[in-house]
Amino acid sequence: MIDRRDALAGIVTMFGAALFAPIARAASGKIPVIDTGPPSSAVFTAGQRALVTALSERVIPTTDTPGAIAAEVPAFIEKLLADWAMPEDKAPILAGLDAIEARSRRDYKVAAAEATPEQQDALLTLAMNGALPGGADFFDKFRQLVITGYYTSEIGITQEREYLPVPGEYDGAFPYSNVNKVYSS
Amino acid sequence: MTATNQYDAIVVGSGVSGGWAAKELTEKGLRVLMLDRGVMVEHGADYSYDGKPAYEIPARNIMPEPLIESDYFIATHGYVSPASQKFYNNDRLNPYAYDEGEKFYWIRPGAVGGKSLIWGRWSFRWSPEDFEANKRENVGIDWPIRYDDLAPWYSYVEKYAGVSGSRENLPQLPDSEFQPPMPMNIAEKWLKERLEATSPGRKLIHARLSNMTEDKPDQGRSRCQFRNQCGRGCSFGAYFSTQAVTLPAARATGRLTLRADAVVSNLEYDPKARRVTGVRVVDAKTGVAEIIPARLVFLCASAMASTQILMNSRIPGTGKSHFDTSGTLGRYVMDHIFRVGISGEIPGMTDYIEYGRRPGAVYIPRFRNVGGEEGVGFRRGYGYQGSAYRNPAWPQGFGAAMKHGMRRYDSWKFGMGAFGECLPYEDNRVSLHPDKVDRFGVPLMRFDVTFRENELKMMSDARTEGEKMLRAAGLINVQSERKEHVPGDAIHEMGGARMGADPRESVLNKWSQAHDASNLFVTDGAQMASISCVNPSLTFMALTARAADHAVKQLQAGAI
Repeated sequence: MIDRRDALAGIVTMFGAALFAPIARAASGKIPVIDTGPPSSAVFTAGQRALVTALSERVIPTTDTPGAIAAEVPAFIEKLLADWAMPEDKAPILAGLDAIEARSRRDYKVAAAEATPEQQDALLTLAMNGALPGGADFFDKFRQLVITGYYTSEIGITQEREYLPVPGEYDGAFPYSNVNKVYSS
Repeated sequence: MTATNQYDAIVVGSGVSGGWAAKELTEKGLRVLMLDRGVMVEHGADYSYDGKPAYEIPARNIMPEPLIESDYFIATHGYVSPASQKFYNNDRLNPYAYDEGEKFYWIRPGAVGGKSLIWGRWSFRWSPEDFEANKRENVGIDWPIRYDDLAPWYSYVEKYAGVSGSRENLPQLPDSEFQPPMPMNIAEKWLKERLEATSPGRKLIHARLSNMTEDKPDQGRSRCQFRNQCGRGCSFGAYFSTQAVTLPAARATGRLTLRADAVVSNLEYDPKARRVTGVRVVDAKTGVAEIIPARLVFLCASAMASTQILMNSRIPGTGKSHFDTSGTLGRYVMDHIFRVGISGEIPGMTDYIEYGRRPGAVYIPRFRNVGGEEGVGFRRGYGYQGSAYRNPAWPQGFGAAMKHGMRRYDSWKFGMGAFGECLPYEDNRVSLHPDKVDRFGVPLMRFDVTFRENELKMMSDARTEGEKMLRAAGLINVQSERKEHVPGDAIHEMGGARMGADPRESVLNKWSQAHDASNLFVTDGAQMASISCVNPSLTFMALTARAADHAVKQLQAGAI
């Protein structure tokens, strides 16, 4: 039983009744789907991207398990900064990369991405200790990005750590000696 | 068949209460239409991220900040994640007057199943004291029911839903019909012994959860698999949800019609007959509205949404609701106060770790003012939910040393959070906005709800006592924090259409039945005259089953 008068009280016709920003925005609104494609815009220059790649591997290097590059952490960082973070979150990362780049050219006469791993570690240490402009802020945030990207990647979850999709049981006194790897959540 | 007898009953909302209403009413022979404003979610098939690791979930299951800011700025306080996004309300599309009145987080679901898909699953009976304190203290209104009225209905719903927990014989926390409890881990057992020895009269007990520890093959449900990913939906059906429990039962009768994307704006009312005649529904996809008649209506839209629907069912030409003869509609709104946390390190036992991920751990039941006022400066009390756990180490720096340093676990830690009872206050109220409406033409809800001196003193006590208890038990580096107490944040908002014996003072009678319409029952959190300090959903279930039984008996007797 459709009430014809009420049928007019539909989604679009009601918008004359009030001026409330979220409602106006809702007029054409659909529930958004999280964009998982390539970054919608380039966050980094080619040089910055190379540096992000190199530094991410210094934060989590390849050891007996793969490191940040194999886990595609650099791509995660660029995607996150492009589409999953607030626009203002890019600035401290970009500023820190530029400061590291400038210091590398001054001290080592090469682009930071081309510096040796030891030199890159020295540059990261300078940032960590606040000896570069914006360095400490950059280091904390960049380290967090790398850790998050790595330990949520397939390599991080299944090779560096161990994922139990269906533990099936709970043991609250499981011998630590039986633990091979830290469990991913 | 004419439209007027297509359905015997309409159930508005499909969450904890709505699902039970649909199950009970259909099983008793009624043809039921269940409406939900949210999208359809089928058990299993629509749990898109059930069991998946982070790398198979959009944005690694971290809610993108711009999306929170544009669309989930309220839901973000309610644990929304990419894996559970579709179960939550979109705050942009479906707003309330959040920038007016007092700050309130109205955290809403956006799917069939309502909050039953995304709830915390802690399940407690309320106590005799909870139903008697209002009268004894002359606070709010006396409950028209007592614990004994509800006890058989608690048993009834517990046996079907499946509640795990331990028998404790505590007067302030009556035992349920339990499945075996989730085990405590070695550190929690250690803490239990020490805490109970050093803080006499206080208890640390197993969590009570609607997560099963035994299978229910008759319902096609398995016990908990210790994944602790409940909020994504559980294909094992291990926790109570509409999808896993009540919806299959209602569907099995062949008498249920379920409509998603069906927004109820108001109830139609015949003032002469003093009856609800139908439900006005707007199709969320097309915007087309219709009125669906019914002999019986169960309003189970959630405490605040049911109150909104009642308030928006207005006498033509007035702003007054058909259901507000008492003048109490929209008043005495409550939520549990929380955001007080206490934590510390548990020494030793580092040769042990947890295997598997529990969905809940331990509880310290209320100890303040149990069995009478203790002169502690506030009324009622609080309990703590907590757990002991070991996190991976979190070394500083970078490089191989950091990476390999993260391959071990830190020492045991224990953390707990307090949930306190909020008293009913007449001027803690919700109202319809005078001129702002949503996209379906429904006036926006405005909240004027604040915590008062009693609640704030209670939380100060919860912080102090929590620290004292954990220190006395032998924890080290005990710390506490107290964050902003925003009503609604506990997602235990209740009241707005309280029950009472006197129609001049209450919206509903002791059967959850409207004083102003004998064929209208409101069986969600709106009916509460006080809120205990323990989680409410189990009480919604019991009250709903009880009301459905009464409604059908009255229907059969021709009384409604």
